[in-house]
Amino acid sequence: MTALLETRSVTQRFSGLVANSDVSISVGRGEIVGLIGPNGAGKSTLFNLIAGVFPPTEGSIWFDGEDVTRLPAAERCRRGVGRTFQVVKSFETMTVIDNVIVGSLVRTTHMREARRKAREVLAFTGLAARADVLASDLVPAEKRRLEVARALATSPKLLLLDEVLTGLTPAEAQTGVELVRRVRDTGVTVLMVEHVMEIVMPLVDRAIVLDLGKVLVEGKPADIVRNPKVISAYLGDRHAVGA
Amino acid sequence: MLTAETIIQSLASGLLMGLLYGLIAVGLALIFGLMDVVNFAHGEFLMIAMYATFFLFAFFALDPLLSAPLVAAALFVFGAVVYLLIVRFAVRAKANAGMVQIFSTFGLAIVMRGLAQFFFTPDYRSVTHSWLGGKTISVAGIFLPEPQLMGAAVAIAAFGGLYFFINRTDFGRALEATREDAGAVALVGIDKNRVFALGWGLGAALVGLAGAIMAVFFYIYPDVGASFALISYVTVALGGFGSVFGAFAGGIIVGLVEAATALVLPPSLKSVGIYAVYLLVVFIRPRGLFGSM
Amino acid sequence: MDEHFANRRRRDLVVAACLIAIAALAPLFVTDVFTQNVMVLTLMYAALSQSWNILSGYCGQISLGHALYFGLGAYTTALLFTKFGVLPWFGMLGGGVVSALIAMALGYPCFRLRGHYFVIATIVIAEIGLLLFQNWTWAGAALGIDIPVRHDSWLTFQFPRSKLPYFYFALALAAVAWFVTWWLEDSKWGFWWRAVKDNPEAAESLGVVVFDSKMGAAAVSAFLVAVGGGFYAQFVSYIDPESVMGFQFSLLMALPAVVGGIGTLWGPPLGAVILIPLTELTRTHMGGSGRGIDLIVYGSLIVLISLARPQGLVGLFARPRKV
Repeated sequence: MTALLETRSVTQRFSGLVANSDVSISVGRGEIVGLIGPNGAGKSTLFNLIAGVFPPTEGSIWFDGEDVTRLPAAERCRRGVGRTFQVVKSFETMTVIDNVIVGSLVRTTHMREARRKAREVLAFTGLAARADVLASDLVPAEKRRLEVARALATSPKLLLLDEVLTGLTPAEAQTGVELVRRVRDTGVTVLMVEHVMEIVMPLVDRAIVLDLGKVLVEGKPADIVRNPKVISAYLGDRHAVGA
Repeated sequence: MLTAETIIQSLASGLLMGLLYGLIAVGLALIFGLMDVVNFAHGEFLMIAMYATFFLFAFFALDPLLSAPLVAAALFVFGAVVYLLIVRFAVRAKANAGMVQIFSTFGLAIVMRGLAQFFFTPDYRSVTHSWLGGKTISVAGIFLPEPQLMGAAVAIAAFGGLYFFINRTDFGRALEATREDAGAVALVGIDKNRVFALGWGLGAALVGLAGAIMAVFFYIYPDVGASFALISYVTVALGGFGSVFGAFAGGIIVGLVEAATALVLPPSLKSVGIYAVYLLVVFIRPRGLFGSM
Repeated sequence: MDEHFANRRRRDLVVAACLIAIAALAPLFVTDVFTQNVMVLTLMYAALSQSWNILSGYCGQISLGHALYFGLGAYTTALLFTKFGVLPWFGMLGGGVVSALIAMALGYPCFRLRGHYFVIATIVIAEIGLLLFQNWTWAGAALGIDIPVRHDSWLTFQFPRSKLPYFYFALALAAVAWFVTWWLEDSKWGFWWRAVKDNPEAAESLGVVVFDSKMGAAAVSAFLVAVGGGFYAQFVSYIDPESVMGFQFSLLMALPAVVGGIGTLWGPPLGAVILIPLTELTRTHMGGSGRGIDLIVYGSLIVLISLARPQGLVGLFARPRKV
């Protein structure tokens, strides 16, 4: 079975700065894959490339067997790529349910249907009680959940989560982890960028480590955390344990 | 008859006028660069500067060249007051922020025009004798009207002064710093409101200078600001909002394009050239020629 | 929860129907021509502002050059009627279509522009239109077009003896503009527009084709405004570039929405009912000594509303939405 998502030798340059260099990764259907790496490793850029915010300088991106390299973000969403933003971008002037309805409208033009779907997603993400609240009145943790709810409303095949668990209290983070698991249980594949190792490692099936724009190593979480290259990338060479 | 002489004559006056346009526009660019707000009452600032010059002339027989610094000072105060009473609140808007910024200063423009109509009547006024009025010099066969020449000289001097001020004085540097990062500046103890008020004052003073000079050779009436306002928005947008140098360059371009257009099209269509150039530039470079915002 | 929402929608419709019915009866009680004139203008501006609101309020693309479409509608109707004998009904539709097409053609380059650059582009484009018409001799140039009025006729939509038919047409136009807005508000387009206005990047990530939605808003908005222009041509029987394509028209189309509540359903009509009678009264009743007072009054209103109540006056009647 072909991978759901494949990046083939993707390179991204921004006037002199190489953010991603020859990155080839793949994500299989039904997986939860973690994308980790120190600051400046190029994770956000790779995310934006997969989501279609801008086309890569070189290389190609394949989704569900189709070359989507030249497709803009809105088109990719239609194909099944959903994403959240690291810095939450809720529609502040709209209510929670209206925010989610915008997402469900990509699959249906019937308002009743869109509204019903939105309610479903709100219940799924635990925001049902806040449906008629203005997005600007939500607390940060709720705004994060709204980001996820909106993306889920687009019925994605692949959900890109950009640091959804960062900066949450341990209790909130646990709820978040459960949510991600439930999302996968509904058949959605997840690719998540994360910083908080203790939370992410038990959650993901596989981890891909980026450093300085390149793929450093990938594999099972348990192996990754012991890998000396990974350790030195995060902490500097002094801390690397012998191979 | 389109001779080389007519063309050069036309372009020369276009250049002079362009420098003046640059002077009118630079205040707008400064304010926008400082705080991301377009002053849609800019034309009306020009209008009251012209009226002030006229009244100083009518009541005290003060030549515009002499009253220019006074008018600039008065406009400085006015600009600062406008910031403190209106703009300061406009930038705090969260909902409909774009609308608020546009219409708060637009509303002010309408009020100012109404006040001018009410107090000064719609009658056209003019400064009938001034030191330079009506005189021209001939430079290499080209006739240059002295008031416009003076205007251009004042514009160049003002730009030079502004450059010096922004780069060499403490306040100027504070202005630049606040432009870059208003939040950080507060940490260093600089009062953002004070900087903004002074920035508005400076922007208004610059257009005040322009108004004083223009009173020598333009008719003065309540709606006079409107046409120059549009030219200055186009000038600033052309040069790139936020760029003081861009306003200068934009002004020259606008002046030349206007003059060139008047050569080939009937005089009533002379603005079409400027507008077309604006559209062309922003369609190709959506941030203007030198803009960074 | 959803019936609550459906009830609100139905209530809006019922209120509108009642208001329209009341307005329809008004001419029975108001017989002086001056007041009737003000009512016609109020309804026309309500329609125009509601249409402007679709692009600039809901979709957030603030245009201060909408007089272009008003003028195009007026001229298309007037020219087709005076030069080719085409009935104004077709002329208005033709004007609407022409304006919608031009709005989309202009949208192509313009919608790439951000914020202030966009607003200024709209002003500049309308000015170019004005200048072109002022110099177009076939269309009457600066002198404009005089539409000869013969007798009362619904066919040619001319009524030299009464304002009533114009009143009812304007009422119908305002009702249509309101209804179109009401319908689109709870539709994919309405949600897309609000998303684009709020956060275009987030909207794109949710499958919203930002460019297409702006184009749609521009087309609908321009069409309705142009029909209003065609109506105006028949109402005043004389048009010239300055009076139908001038900047003051662009401003007057925007202000009722700003005062009433930009981006809301009831804002533009509320704003029109407040502003238009006010401006007409101050302009005519104060005569020579009052010149400029109408400007002072409504200019101050704009400043006050933008600073103190940017969501407009309509919020005073709305139920609070917070839980």
